[in-house]
Amino acid sequence: MASDTPRPYGEVYDLGYQHYSGPRLGRSHAIRALTIYSIKRGLGIKKKWTSKIMPALLYTGAFMPAVIVSGILAFAPTGVSFGYHNLFQIVSLVLFVFAAALAPEMLSDDRRENVLALYFARSITRVDYLLSKLFAMAILMGTMIYGPAALLFAANVLLAGDPIAYFFDHLGDLGRIAVSGALAAAFLAAIGLAVAAHTNRKGVATGLIIGGAFVLAGIAAALFNALDSNARDYVIFLSPMDLMEATSAWIFGNSPPGMAALAGVYHAAAMLVVIGLAAGIMYRRYLAED
Amino acid sequence: MAPAWHGHDVSARATPEPVITASALTKRYGNVVALDGVDVSMPRAATGLLGANGSGKSTFIKLLLGLIQPTSGAATIFGLDAAGEAVRIRERVGYMPESDCLPLDVTAADFVAHMAEMSGLPSQAARQRANDILYQVGVDEERYRLIRGFSTGMKQRVKLAQAIVHDPELVFLDEPTNGMDPQGRDDMLDLIRRIYRTLGIAVIVSSHLLEDIERVCDHVVMVNEGRLVIQGRIDDLLEGGGDIIVRIDGDRDEFITRLRARGSAAAIAAADIVVAIGSEAPEAVYDRIRDTVVDMDVPLRLLRGRERSLEDVYIQTVGGLAGEEAMVAGGE
Repeated sequence: MASDTPRPYGEVYDLGYQHYSGPRLGRSHAIRALTIYSIKRGLGIKKKWTSKIMPALLYTGAFMPAVIVSGILAFAPTGVSFGYHNLFQIVSLVLFVFAAALAPEMLSDDRRENVLALYFARSITRVDYLLSKLFAMAILMGTMIYGPAALLFAANVLLAGDPIAYFFDHLGDLGRIAVSGALAAAFLAAIGLAVAAHTNRKGVATGLIIGGAFVLAGIAAALFNALDSNARDYVIFLSPMDLMEATSAWIFGNSPPGMAALAGVYHAAAMLVVIGLAAGIMYRRYLAED
Repeated sequence: MAPAWHGHDVSARATPEPVITASALTKRYGNVVALDGVDVSMPRAATGLLGANGSGKSTFIKLLLGLIQPTSGAATIFGLDAAGEAVRIRERVGYMPESDCLPLDVTAADFVAHMAEMSGLPSQAARQRANDILYQVGVDEERYRLIRGFSTGMKQRVKLAQAIVHDPELVFLDEPTNGMDPQGRDDMLDLIRRIYRTLGIAVIVSSHLLEDIERVCDHVVMVNEGRLVIQGRIDDLLEGGGDIIVRIDGDRDEFITRLRARGSAAAIAAADIVVAIGSEAPEAVYDRIRDTVVDMDVPLRLLRGRERSLEDVYIQTVGGLAGEEAMVAGGE
């Protein structure tokens, strides 16, 4: 006779604390984990919905010109004069705002909330920490700068009379996109991270980056108009945004903006110097702390 | 169902050699000497690092973790040089800082899993262990809530969870009961005690709360103004000694003077007189108290023995009012 008592269909066992005997993947895994975690935070993933608004708007802003131009190329191909340099000019502005918002997201929270104490007590070095943040920023900014350019290039290839010939004829454009994009992303990331490393408040860092760039651009423009000696040729080095535009124009072989009187290579070199200086500032801030 | 911490043999990881050694370890910040020539040897046990605020405890922990470099001297953990092999050391230890250190807009489960990955655990294992450990420290369903909404006690538990999620061999807990209410403090001390006794993870508890150390630790290292004051097994340090508490209706100063004349040290403490037993037989001290009471012909209201505590050891070793003011015998 069957028992009236229903048989349990499952039981929960509390095994207590278990020691971990699985693999330990070391520093490289930790760097990868921190990079992915930082990318998610930068995009507002697993954060409240308001954190997702800014990245979504900026990505939309970055891709919109390429989408519109691709559409025009498809349906009204004649009379369109929109090159990669034009695209970079627009995307650079969006990228600049993105870097200003993203860099503090990468560093300021960890400083303000003192999470650094936990990171530096794990099996990573301070260099690893900074590299992870740099990788995260580079990946995010790379998607924003290369994505629209790739879209435009693909549209140009697909809509060309002979796509294969167009592709091979314009391989140089890919190289210029790669170099210009990498330089712009590194330049903006370096400035953003160097500023963000010095304040615990994200709003202050973002304001400093955007406000600082506009103030410097204004000062540079005023000095350029006020001076009539050779000194005005160097005024462009005061303004990061003008420096980027001049370098991009040089790389794509376009005519430089009015303030750029020196050879393009000097502007590119100046951007590299700024990247180096920013790295030095971060070294002092994070690595020389004792 | 209450979390179970069972089925493990503490002795499995126990080794006779010290887990931490320091030799003439010194750290200066400009003219300020944070740690002054500390020589210490800590066993694989639950060890209390005891000292007033600013005595050099946190500096000592940071030096051991390789987060700062010593001005001179050396320290080792598991035989590894703390200054030169910090990353290898940090793979094997956990750290719970004193200060707030948790991101507020992340869930406890996500954050502890992230910290496990930062210690090299694969993603899936990290998430599994984060859930297990959070359950073990008493953060169950709440683990899916943002840390922003947690009480101080819950945050302390999450801090503890991230310190042990990667199954370290040694964990540093810096003022683990800071800011907790009495019940939360009891729970936290219970957790810490189980970390060593049940899990076999060696524990270094840094605290200025004598009672916390006495409740959870087997060994103690006392530091004062950057210097090592005393180290050893707590049972050994508390052996012998103790006090006798006396309350009389009469002139207490006169009582103390007469008692001192008979050879016993005594002092006024609130409404009572505390008579030190020292290394003598307690009976001899009780006899002196009896004789003094008879001599003065005063009523004796209270007479009871009190075991020696870490507070007595600290005050006798460090001495001075500064020590008494800075150290707290009970909770905050």
